[in-house]
Amino acid sequence: MPKYMFVYRGCENCHEPEEMQKFMQLWMDWIQVGEEAGWLIDKGDGLEPDGAIVNPDLSITDGPFAESKELVGGYSMVEAANIAAAIELAKGSPIAVSGGTVEVRALANVEMANE
Amino acid sequence: MNQSTNQLVEHFFRHESAKLIAVLTRAFGLRRIDLIEDMVQVAMMEAMNSWKLNGIPPNPSAWIHLAAKNRILDSLRREKTFAKAMALSGQTLASQELVIDQWLEDEHIADSLLRMMFVCCHPLNDRQTQIALTLKTLCGFGLSEVARALLLPIETVKKRIQRAKKSLAGAKVSLELPDDEQLEQRLDVVHDVLYLMFNEGYSTSRGADPIRSDICEEAARLCHLLCQNPCSSPATKALLALMLFHASRFEARTDDLGSVILLEDQCRSDWDHQLIGSAQGWLAQSKCGQPTTYHLEATIAMLHCIAPCIKKTDWSGISALYGRLLELHNSPMYELNQAIAIGESGATHEALTRLMQLKDHPKLEGYFLLDCAIARIHLLEDDTMKAVDSYLMARSKTAAVHEHELIDKKIRKLTEITQDDRTQSH
Amino acid sequence: MDRFMFLQRGGCEDPPELTAQQMEAGMKAWMDWVKNGTEEGWLVDPGSPLSKTGVVVNPDMSVTDGPFAESKEFVGGYTVVEAPDMAAACELAKQTIKLAGGGKIEVRKFANAGE
Repeated sequence: MPKYMFVYRGCENCHEPEEMQKFMQLWMDWIQVGEEAGWLIDKGDGLEPDGAIVNPDLSITDGPFAESKELVGGYSMVEAANIAAAIELAKGSPIAVSGGTVEVRALANVEMANE
Repeated sequence: MNQSTNQLVEHFFRHESAKLIAVLTRAFGLRRIDLIEDMVQVAMMEAMNSWKLNGIPPNPSAWIHLAAKNRILDSLRREKTFAKAMALSGQTLASQELVIDQWLEDEHIADSLLRMMFVCCHPLNDRQTQIALTLKTLCGFGLSEVARALLLPIETVKKRIQRAKKSLAGAKVSLELPDDEQLEQRLDVVHDVLYLMFNEGYSTSRGADPIRSDICEEAARLCHLLCQNPCSSPATKALLALMLFHASRFEARTDDLGSVILLEDQCRSDWDHQLIGSAQGWLAQSKCGQPTTYHLEATIAMLHCIAPCIKKTDWSGISALYGRLLELHNSPMYELNQAIAIGESGATHEALTRLMQLKDHPKLEGYFLLDCAIARIHLLEDDTMKAVDSYLMARSKTAAVHEHELIDKKIRKLTEITQDDRTQSH
Repeated sequence: MDRFMFLQRGGCEDPPELTAQQMEAGMKAWMDWVKNGTEEGWLVDPGSPLSKTGVVVNPDMSVTDGPFAESKEFVGGYTVVEAPDMAAACELAKQTIKLAGGGKIEVRKFANAGE
C-alpha cells in the first residue's frame, strides 16, 4: 500500500493545563488506534523550531524563520489505499481536530509509481 | 507500554501545576511568581509532548516536578543577584532543592497549598480578584477559563491578576500562615472566597457550561483541604457540609440542555446520596457554640436533602432557620426563601403577602425566581390562572433562553391540566 | 545521540534530461550513500522524495490543494539521521546536498526522540 507523510503545521493552542491534558489524551488515543489498526506506520515526532539551513553552496545558516502556521511543526507516516483514504485519516488526527493543518503527501519512491 | 490503560487522573495537569507553583513560590518568593508560572507551563508542555508519543511515565508527578525544578533552577542560576543572595542566607541551590523535594511530597504538599490559599485571599485585593487568583493559582485554571468562570473579558482578568501580584509582591507578602491574632479574620475571607466561588459554579445562569461543575469541585476540594488543617474552624466544616449538600443535587438541577429544573420538579433519586452522607458527617463535626450563616445554611440544605419529597420536607424547621439567618444577616434572599418555606408549610396567605412586599425590594427587582415563587404559592392555592400570570411575569424578567424554556414548560403543564379539568367537567 | 530530520527545500524544477549513464551514476551514488550511512549508523531512514502534488486538511476539515512547488512552504523530500548535535547533523546534510543537487536542506531536531 502507498505511504503518505502527514506534515503538521500550526496548533500550539494549548496553553492551559486542562487543554494540554485533553490534547495529550487525543494523541495517545489516535496513536493507539492507528498502531493497532496498522495504518500508522510511524507516529512521528515534533520538530524543534530552531534549526539550520544547509545551502547549495554548503554554507550553513540559522533558520527557518517562519510563522508558526508555515513552520513544519512535526510529522507522522501512514499507509493507506489511496490519497482519499489518507485524507480521511488526516481529518481524524489530533492536529486537525485542535486547529492546525495537516499536509498530506505521497512518498514518491524511486521504484514505485504512485498516483 | 499499553497506553490506553495508562491514563492520567482527571485534572492532573491543573493540580500538578498548582502544587508546583505553590511550592516554588514558597521557595523563591512571590516576586518571582511570573517566572515560576512560565517555567511550570513549559514543563507541562514538555510533559505533554513527550508523553503523547512515549506514553505516560510510571511516576508522572515526579517527571513534571523534576522538569519544572530544572527549568526554574537553570533560570535562577543565570540571575547574578540570586547567587549572592543565596550565599548570604547560607543556603545553596542543592539544599534548596532538597527542601523543595520535601515540600512536594504527598504528606507535605497541603502546607504549601494552604499558605498559597491565604495569599490568594489576601485582604489587599478585592473579592473578585481573590477569586480570580485562587482559580488561576490554586486550581490551575488558564486565563480564558478564569474569564469564563467569572463571566469577564480575558483582558480584564489578566490586568487584575497582574495588578494583584504586583501589590502582593510590593507589600512583601510571604507564603506564611497568618498569626493567631489575624487567623480568624483571614480565615473568614477565605471562607467567603470559597463560598462565592462555589456559588459561581452552582448558579444556573450560565446554562450548560461544563466549567460550572469544575468550579464547584475546586471550591469543595480547597475547602476540604482547609478542613484537614488545624487552622480551620467549625465554620470551615459547616461550609464544606453546605457545599457537599448542594453538590449532591447538582446533576438533578439542570437537564442536558442546561435548562433549570426547580426543586419541586427534581428527581430525587438523581441526588447523590453518598455526598449527602458525607455532608452530614461534616455538619456533625462542625457543631459549635456560635453557629455561623454557613451552619444554618448547611442545616437548611440538609433538611432538603433528607426529605423524600417536597410535601414531606420540614418546612417549618426551614422557616425557623431562615429566621435565625435573618438575625445574623439581613438579606432579601433569606426573606424570599423564608416566605417560600412559610407558603409550603401551609400558610399561603402569609407567604403571598411577604412575597408581594419583596417585589418592591431593590435587590430583587428583575429577579425572575421571585415571580416563580409567587406562581408556586398560587398553585398551592389551586389558583392556576394567577400562577400562569406570575410565570409570564417571571419570563419577562429574564433574557436567558434556558430560563424561558423552564418557564414555558411550567406553563404548558399548567394549561394542559386546565384543559383536562375543562374536558372532565363537561 | 539526537535525531534530525532533513527537509528538502527548493531545487524542485524538473531536472534536465539525464542520459542513461547519468541516471545510472546517480543511482549508484545514492545506493552508496545509503550503504555508507547504514554501516556507519547515522542513517535512520533514507527517506523519499514527496509527490509534487499534495493537499492540506484544514481545521474546518476542508481540503485544499497545495502547497505548490514554487511556494516557500514546499517540502520536496525528507531524510532522518542520527547525530550527536546540530553541527554534526549539518555536516551529514552536506553529503545529501551533493546527491540531491540544487535546493537547500532544512535541518530540524526531533523534539522527543531518545527518551
